[in-house]
Amino acid sequence: MKKWSELKDSSFFDASARERAVGLVDKGTFTEFLHPLDRYCSPHLVVLGQAVEFDDGMVCGVGLLGRHPAFIISMEGRFIGGAIGEVNGAKMVGAIRLALTAAKEIKAKYPGEYEAKRPLVVISFETGGVRLHESNAGLLAHAEVMDAFQDCRHIVPVVSVVGSKVGCFGGMGFVAAAADVIVMNEQGRIGLTGPEVIEQEMGKEEFDASNKALVYRTTGAKHKYIIQDCNYLVEDTIGDFHKVLGEIAGKSMEEIEKMRRIGSIDLVREQQELVKLVGDMQPKDSMDVWKHFGNENPAALPELSTAEFLKTVKRRARS
Amino acid sequence: MALQVLEFNFKSAATQSIPKEWSHTGVTGSGDLEVLLEKKDLGGGVKAKVVTPVKGFDAVWEKMIQKFVTDTGVGNLSIEINDDNATPIVVYMRLRQALAEATAKEAE
Amino acid sequence: MEFKGITREWDTLKKDTKARVGAASAYTKNGKIVDAENTVALLETVIKPFDKVNIEGNNQKQADFLAKCLCEVDVKKIHDLHMVQSVLTLPEHLDVFEKGIAKKLDMSFSGPQAGRIAEFLKEGKLELGAIHTYLELYGRYFVDLTPRVALIVATMADAAGNLFTGFSTEDTPAIVEATKFRQGIVIAQVNEIVEKLPRVDIPGDWVDFVVQSPKPFYIEPLFTRDPALITDAQVLKGMMAIKGIYAEYGIKRLNHGIGFDTAAIELLLPTYGEQLGLKGKICTNFILNPHPSLIPAIECGWVESVHCFGGELGMENYVAARSDIFFVGPDGSMRSNRAFSQTGGHYAVDMFIGGTLQIDPYGNSSTATANRVAGFGGAPNMGCDPKGRRHSTEAWLKCGAEYSKAPELWGTVHRGKRLVVQIAETFREKLAPGFVEELDAFALAKNAKLPIEPVMIYGDDLTHVITEDGIAYLHKCENMEERTAAIRGIAGFTEVGLKADPKTTAKLKERGVIRTTDDLGIDITKATRSMLAAKNVHDLVVWSKGLYNPPARFRNW
Repeated sequence: MKKWSELKDSSFFDASARERAVGLVDKGTFTEFLHPLDRYCSPHLVVLGQAVEFDDGMVCGVGLLGRHPAFIISMEGRFIGGAIGEVNGAKMVGAIRLALTAAKEIKAKYPGEYEAKRPLVVISFETGGVRLHESNAGLLAHAEVMDAFQDCRHIVPVVSVVGSKVGCFGGMGFVAAAADVIVMNEQGRIGLTGPEVIEQEMGKEEFDASNKALVYRTTGAKHKYIIQDCNYLVEDTIGDFHKVLGEIAGKSMEEIEKMRRIGSIDLVREQQELVKLVGDMQPKDSMDVWKHFGNENPAALPELSTAEFLKTVKRRARS
Repeated sequence: MALQVLEFNFKSAATQSIPKEWSHTGVTGSGDLEVLLEKKDLGGGVKAKVVTPVKGFDAVWEKMIQKFVTDTGVGNLSIEINDDNATPIVVYMRLRQALAEATAKEAE
Repeated sequence: MEFKGITREWDTLKKDTKARVGAASAYTKNGKIVDAENTVALLETVIKPFDKVNIEGNNQKQADFLAKCLCEVDVKKIHDLHMVQSVLTLPEHLDVFEKGIAKKLDMSFSGPQAGRIAEFLKEGKLELGAIHTYLELYGRYFVDLTPRVALIVATMADAAGNLFTGFSTEDTPAIVEATKFRQGIVIAQVNEIVEKLPRVDIPGDWVDFVVQSPKPFYIEPLFTRDPALITDAQVLKGMMAIKGIYAEYGIKRLNHGIGFDTAAIELLLPTYGEQLGLKGKICTNFILNPHPSLIPAIECGWVESVHCFGGELGMENYVAARSDIFFVGPDGSMRSNRAFSQTGGHYAVDMFIGGTLQIDPYGNSSTATANRVAGFGGAPNMGCDPKGRRHSTEAWLKCGAEYSKAPELWGTVHRGKRLVVQIAETFREKLAPGFVEELDAFALAKNAKLPIEPVMIYGDDLTHVITEDGIAYLHKCENMEERTAAIRGIAGFTEVGLKADPKTTAKLKERGVIRTTDDLGIDITKATRSMLAAKNVHDLVVWSKGLYNPPARFRNW
């Protein structure tokens, strides 16, 4: 594996789950929970004759972002598309709960310094949702993660990081959106039903999954950034993600709360406004929406580099 | 239906193991594999365990790992592989990369 | 001896054509223009049963509307056609046989329709003349397979019937020249009819009818390889090729196959090739479609010229802006030409290198599978030693000098040899072996009742095989026994490789007939995707300074 200093300038998109986990926290601070030597494989895949992985496709651990302990959950898309089963689901839930325990202990031990030492949870999503081979356990894991998110509210910030090959789809699309903050690179995608499934169910006229440009401008980061489903859009290096996570770790809980999409009656109203807008304008393409929010030449946006895009883009105004 | 678990033992002329206690490389992606190397006192030998969904390649696996042992002269080493349809060259490349990583200087 | 001339009419073809074209005048307006809805009626008027008919089907662009219309003609009026066409890609190309409109077929390549051809042959729905290489078939257009009617495709036409084929000219000139000058009928489908063409690729008096198709013609981005899908193993084989063959022989003039192996090589030139100091010494002149994966090498100044068989979607602006490198018309857009490019590929390059599916112990290689009649397009013309070649180059002479059979077959004459290189992995995806004792081509010949096994590259033409286990320099082998041993020596753990005798393999290594990565001084742990000059399609766009405009299916941004 690459050294931390090499990871800094490496593509986040191309990185493995472990590389991301190590590179998202400060140099040399990452400790992995249930590392490969523990050989915590899925017991179900063995029975089904499916290939297994020692970490079950999920790298969890803790590192530091400045003085903040960062609990990292990093999904490996190359192993069964990053799908969530029993073992990796339990690892995910366990890591979030551990962050809460850490928060309690820090509060007790350093009552005056909690803000400065406040832990956070960072989840690097790369998944299509539930692993079909162990679907009940996978679904349960989704529910338990959502529950754990609720326990974290106002105590421990939860940050979704999306920018890997598989994107973040299925039930995990909900999970990512339920976090406090969402950070993406240009290649990042979030959605519920995957493009291929939409095409299969609704036809090519409705959604042509082979038209990658269409897929990206519907589920991709630039669209999410414009409609405010994504809080930070960063360049595709692990170092850029690390830097912005450091900033987020230092924010007050009030600032964190303001970045959420759901979780209060006002936020529900805001989402309803968006639904109403879509109903009224009946967009045929994401570009119609971009134009509505003030982007005069929407067709040019996908071609812009992240830096140019950030300079010129107009986003939905938040109330 | 169930996964194949193959176990092999190799004699090695050398007793040169890896400096680290253990080292891990790779991902069990489609057409790929992960390798876990562990320092073990095996009287100079090498033992290998392969977990794979592919049937009928037992002899090929043995030859592939034998080639790696012969080419690199490693000993006192446990090799564990989780495979998902990797081709022989991928197996060989990953084993060489795993060994290179296990012998590389500790990350800063 | 008394000469006795015969008495006959000498212009029956011309008169017949005149009659047919005359009968179709009801469907024309402003001379040659026919409305799309009258196309079926037009075809029913100008085509007669048993005619030889060409539907322009290229590797890339397709006369899809005319193909569709031909399927709709009344089979009572038109039947038993003899289709002579290079590529069968569209379902309609086979539907005409299903419906009885056509009976006999002479072709080069069939890609997606290969399974159906095999099926139709078995069921007797189709009679196969022969499977040709492109050049062979074009040659036969001018000998004994001249189309009576050609249904061609162009980008634009003017009212006089002049055609602009532009970027994707491909087969059009060869088809039209053969058809029209033997008094045949040429019908063109075009995307638009304009007042003034950017340039004239086919003169209007060679064209009888022009139809504006309801939709622009179908074109396939066949040569776009997403760098994101290139594997570490392909990088390794690419490094072996560059060091063990390109550098070794100083290969300047060459053709690359279509696959990921050669795409990897193209993307290794600015990185690995640069490290080895090979710029200017290799890969200066290509016969090649405008591969997007060649962009970084072009931008780094490796490439002096590229002539293209056809176009490639999205490469139009890039190619136009690099007119020193590509063959660009006075109007500013490229003109491709498969016939000339194939001629260059046959005679004027020093090396062909490409991937294959199977290699047998004799070195015969084929992409044929048991139940698909696919053909090989142009590969065999480039993947052979052209005996008609009479000019010499360094690479060609070096390979000739190494040829162990030279004294026996050539005597004292100085000759060279084309390098024909196959890249194979001992096992492909899903562990399908790349080396087999008997090619699937044998089973196919039996299943489809073909007189010869469809072999893409004959063993006696093959000079080098690259696998992850090493490079076999087959032309250095003394006899078939040694050749087979050299192939077994690099065939890994396949049934072919397992029969290798380690002692013989060791001897061949000593003599340099087999060279491994260690012999070549290549560090296998360095062979990773990080060596590629572009890692995804977006990188290619950046390399092209925004001139490359990839089709939507490749745009993951």
